[in-house]
Amino acid sequence: MAPSALTTVRARTLFTPLDTGGRADTVTRRLTTAIRLGLLLDGERLPAESDLAGQLGVATVTLREALAALRTMGLVETRRGRGGGSFVRAPREPHPARLERPLRLLSAHELRDIGDHRAAIAGAAAGLAAERALPSEIASLHEHAKRLRVATALTDRRRADARLHIEIAAAAQSPRLTREEMDLWAEIGDLVWLPMAGEDPGPVADEHAALIGAIEGQQPGRARELAERHVAAETARLLDLRLSLPQR
Amino acid sequence: MTRHPGLLAAITRHISSVLGSVTELGEAMTAVAQAAGPRPLRRADLAELRPLVAEVLRRHDGLIAGTGVVLAPGVLADASRWIEWWWADGGGGISQLDVDLDPGSAEFYDYTTTEWYREPARAGRQWVTGPYVDYICTHKYTLTLSAPVLHAGGFLGVAGADILADRVERLVLPGLARLGRPAVLTSGAGRVIASNSASIPPGVVLARQEGSAGLRRVAGPGGGVADPGGEGAVLPWVLLAAPVRDETLDYG
Repeated sequence: MAPSALTTVRARTLFTPLDTGGRADTVTRRLTTAIRLGLLLDGERLPAESDLAGQLGVATVTLREALAALRTMGLVETRRGRGGGSFVRAPREPHPARLERPLRLLSAHELRDIGDHRAAIAGAAAGLAAERALPSEIASLHEHAKRLRVATALTDRRRADARLHIEIAAAAQSPRLTREEMDLWAEIGDLVWLPMAGEDPGPVADEHAALIGAIEGQQPGRARELAERHVAAETARLLDLRLSLPQR
Repeated sequence: MTRHPGLLAAITRHISSVLGSVTELGEAMTAVAQAAGPRPLRRADLAELRPLVAEVLRRHDGLIAGTGVVLAPGVLADASRWIEWWWADGGGGISQLDVDLDPGSAEFYDYTTTEWYREPARAGRQWVTGPYVDYICTHKYTLTLSAPVLHAGGFLGVAGADILADRVERLVLPGLARLGRPAVLTSGAGRVIASNSASIPPGVVLARQEGSAGLRRVAGPGGGVADPGGEGAVLPWVLLAAPVRDETLDYG
């Protein structure tokens, strides 16, 4: 793979020029999304700073700021010298204890607000999917729910769960809601299953089954309500865990 | 009854033209496999396709968002899965998607489960997928045209092209507007691709949409459009419109 240009199918839209202004945190979020969702692979080499800055349409200094933030998060590693550059460090199976740190960085206020945002997106997507999904899309939802049911590792559960919710937004026929789900899962996805570590995922799988049932049954009101309740329960579990951490 | 086959025939010509290019690209891929003979195919062999890819992108400039071939797992010796996909970079050149699909990490994007890959493989013929939200590649509401690539009785993969749904709308909407009555274009599955009526927006399933019951099919596969070449058969799109006034009288 040519190291100079990052042009994978996954990276293509992730590295289109930012149209929301070239702020470092926007760049950081875009790259975090790519890594967290597995669109950028572990060990993948990022283009040279000037090239990547050019692709994203931001100043090199802005990109450097974003890369520094990603290094702090442990998502990018920069090696010097020959064969050096910035490399993706995709989180494999994060130890629950390690994930407590990012959770600690979020206030209960922020967790609640992210939960509200997720519930709004997931609820709207589920309602529209119930109106618009075709049988082929319903089949895909069942398929992803099945994958989630058999996933055991935290990373696998997160991926399958994210994929299921992204597919629901896609079934709503809305590229914007789909993008919102992708961004939200990139932001908070690592944490969603954290409170469930070591616990039976069965009840969550049952919630998904009921939600898909409402979408399949073309019951928009019920689908929206189930999706909102599902996200609210996740938010409550996260808040519970956050508040149970020793206060410092 | 007033028929409006011209409208559907016009968009069918556009889509058929792209399908023709997709098939041409598939045949070029078959030729690459033919030329390799018993030698295993490698990624470098696909370089042969580039002039045609560039020509196809030029030919359908403004209509297609990307084109290329997607290979079945195991076809290439040096990549278990491969997407050879290109798009016009806007500056007169073309850009390649340099896909590095690590089988260990490919779970997130297993293209073999997509409709545009699976259906041409299963049906052995051209396929039009969508419109659907393509959240991997275009991030837009997209239609994917694809055709199987075969060689020596084996399935090598698919050739394809992406068309953004709003491009189709732009081609169809003036004609729909001229009808002067509610009219929609739907996919074979009944999803609205373009509509001149605010009460039936694109993306909805027509049969479930309130106010759609009065629409009558005016053109579609197996009737309405004279298509002796049979090209339209792959495009099961349907044009529906509210009855004209004299027709309404007929219904009392």
